[in-house]
Amino acid sequence: MANAKPEPIHQTLQGQLVRLSPFILGAVILFLLPAFLPAYVQTIWTKFLIFAIFATSFDLIYGHAGLLSLGHAAFFGAGGYVVGVLLLHYEISSFWICAPLGVVVASAIAAVFGFISLRVSGMYFLLVTFALAQLLYSIAWNWLWLNSPGMQGIAGIARPDLGIPSFRWTPIYFYYFVLIIFVLCFYLVYRIMNSPFGCSLRGIRESELRMESLGYNTWFHKYIVFIVTGAFAGIAGVLFAYFNRLISPVHLAVGTSFLPMCMVIIGGTGTLLGPVIGAMVIVFVEYFSSLFTPERWPLILGGLFVAVIMYSRGGIMVYLSEIWKRIGTHYGSTQS
Amino acid sequence: MEALRVEGLSKDFGGVHAVHHVSFNVEVGERLVIIGPNGAGKTTLFNLINGQLLPTSGRIYFLGQDITDMTTHRRAHLGQARSFQIINLFLNLSVLDNTLLGLHGTKRSRLQMFRSMKSYGNLLSNAQESLEAAALWDKRNELVKNLSYGEQRRIEIALSLASKPKLLMLDEPSSGLTRDEGSEIIALIRNLGSTITVLIVDHDMDLVFGVAERILVLHYGQIIVNGKPEEIRADPRVREIYMGVEECMDRARAD
Amino acid sequence: MDAVVRNLLNGISYGMVLFLAGAGMSIVMGVMGITNLAHGALYMVGGYVGWTIAIHYGLSFWLGVLLGGFVSGLCGLIIERGFLRHLYKQPNEQVLLTFGFVYILTNLCIWIWGGRHRMQFTSRSLSGLWDIFGLPYPIARIVIILIGLAVGVVLWWLQDRTRMGAIVRAGMDDKEMTKGLGINLERVSMFVFFLAAFIAGIAGVIGAQLMGVHSVLGFDILLLALVVVIVGGMGSIQGSLLGGVLIGLIDTFGKSLFPQMAMFTMYFAMIVILIVKPSGLLGRKV
Repeated sequence: MANAKPEPIHQTLQGQLVRLSPFILGAVILFLLPAFLPAYVQTIWTKFLIFAIFATSFDLIYGHAGLLSLGHAAFFGAGGYVVGVLLLHYEISSFWICAPLGVVVASAIAAVFGFISLRVSGMYFLLVTFALAQLLYSIAWNWLWLNSPGMQGIAGIARPDLGIPSFRWTPIYFYYFVLIIFVLCFYLVYRIMNSPFGCSLRGIRESELRMESLGYNTWFHKYIVFIVTGAFAGIAGVLFAYFNRLISPVHLAVGTSFLPMCMVIIGGTGTLLGPVIGAMVIVFVEYFSSLFTPERWPLILGGLFVAVIMYSRGGIMVYLSEIWKRIGTHYGSTQS
Repeated sequence: MEALRVEGLSKDFGGVHAVHHVSFNVEVGERLVIIGPNGAGKTTLFNLINGQLLPTSGRIYFLGQDITDMTTHRRAHLGQARSFQIINLFLNLSVLDNTLLGLHGTKRSRLQMFRSMKSYGNLLSNAQESLEAAALWDKRNELVKNLSYGEQRRIEIALSLASKPKLLMLDEPSSGLTRDEGSEIIALIRNLGSTITVLIVDHDMDLVFGVAERILVLHYGQIIVNGKPEEIRADPRVREIYMGVEECMDRARAD
Repeated sequence: MDAVVRNLLNGISYGMVLFLAGAGMSIVMGVMGITNLAHGALYMVGGYVGWTIAIHYGLSFWLGVLLGGFVSGLCGLIIERGFLRHLYKQPNEQVLLTFGFVYILTNLCIWIWGGRHRMQFTSRSLSGLWDIFGLPYPIARIVIILIGLAVGVVLWWLQDRTRMGAIVRAGMDDKEMTKGLGINLERVSMFVFFLAAFIAGIAGVIGAQLMGVHSVLGFDILLLALVVVIVGGMGSIQGSLLGGVLIGLIDTFGKSLFPQMAMFTMYFAMIVILIVKPSGLLGRKV
């Protein structure tokens, strides 16, 4: 090639459209569809978006950096608890205070937990992240200050106060509110994934030894991503508290950590859309299961999870990318 | 001017002296080749110089600085680079991504979280340069794990050159390569220029005698001989260690 | 003084249960390189089976212990043969898989036995008191301590003194080479995994004397086992024993001296170890 700039060359408008079509389709579905659905289904879509943020944050640390943390819910729950505590003890319900504080607290906890966890590696890292999250769980269970009187957790969390006079929440308004935040988070993660830092995470996953000898302070990169993913999980937790109207210790426990793991595996690790697709699958399968066999949901979840690990290594994204590639070559678009 | 000085370096693994009181130095621009039977401690020595291992005793000086306790990534910033004996690449990433990672390693931009990797124009053209030189530009979007062994070796070396190092350490660069591929490596090393100091560990005598200005012979973790190629060829102790290699040496002399 | 002795014995007996619960997991981790998060669920399965035999059918308690061990061992074997074996060299996927099994096993237990908590039960022969230095103390707990010690000795002997331990360790490093030497690695791996699960199962019944059986044990015991492994060190029988007893003592004395801080004493110990000696008290370097 004689060109100085090694950029993609030939792209017709049609080709461009085909490349962007999944995102266009996704945008259409996410922005338009729920407006036509019944209120209860709208809340399911809202839940899906909240968990999509949570799952995407987990994928950054697992799919990209290759660190399997079993305690990711600690940061999720922490964000939620900030909302609860501010309401319970300080009667603050302003979103503009709760959300940033939630992110800050979640990040701070991630900074502490990350420091302790990253002292060890491999299997130990796993165990330590698990145990630290359980520590938080037991604090939330026992410390009276973190509980509404007479119960476990904090109840009575209303929808966020946006400071807009005479504004009333409806399910669809809340959905769009969450959607906007989701799009923002999604975009940020997209930028991080494609940045030198994001690439360095994948390098660390592939060969930490090599990265070190190339000049990367791998410990530092891992520490940073731990905190960043903690922040995103915190945002998801804040939204969840508003959504669920209740935050309880179980939202800090390993059972909640399991959900983004499932979503990421089923959707496809290390991809941008994988966690989102996985979140959609899990949340909707749970909804359908709750209609027919609510007691067997953990069994279905576990079974689905095991099946995907055993038989479909790349999750759903593998199949979707195949289809997309074939459509792409059919329409003659080229990629760099 | 000394590029590297090693003084009384030892590494013990619970009773096993992998490296034992090794001392030598390397001038800037020099080509030093380390040879020795398997298990002689050559890779351990590299790991000590590059920081993957900390020594039990002794000191290491790089460009005049004491780097004995320094982390590997700091040593990279000072100008060290190495290739690995067993191919150590980012297998599930593309050739281009591998190269870009190598280029970013010593740059401030490696912690950048918002700019796209591909937007760094000058790094991209550097990557293109080195990949074209290794005849791998056309395969830049291939995953490294799908390449042939010879191609992977080329990337292995290209990666270690990416940061424009002052000290290049190549651990068995010709291992597993065909004769032709091996000659390519020799040519590449010969063309590296006098500002780079090169330290090589290898068993291929063509490469060793084709490139070396000085040779270090290691056995059971100790230096047996340290001298010019002709001295090594003639040394009876070396022949003793390498019984059966005499034939190779004769061939090399004849070339 | 009485209270101190009582706490001491309580702590040690509880610690023995923790050791039994965690030993298998530690062995499989240190020797086979597999982190089996379903280990707590195997404990739970054993406990339920033991309850069924001893209480539901009113048969011998010790039969319950044995059968509990066998059923858990079988479950463990199925997990290893049917699933883990195919994920060789993919440690993350192995861990995730076993975690999925926690959910599967837990829900299956709820399906079969219902969600009610089963209260503590023990053998008729053990439900009495002995005189320890003038202090009446439950026989059952003494027996637990003895069983714990016995199991510990047997495991230590197996791991450090037999060819089998060496084989499994070799197989972890280089499967092909080990097989090439004519050693039936599959057979040995199967046995180790079965043994680990078996011990978890009998631990479930033995521990039921102190804690009963319930459907959250899958997670609760997992956590306890993990703390024991972190404190005691991975892959070391002595470490698990030490870790278990230590945690048992800390927890028991903690609960009696600082009741409000009951749950945290254990975590404090864990965090201290992590900061001071991450590989555990008797573990190999991490």
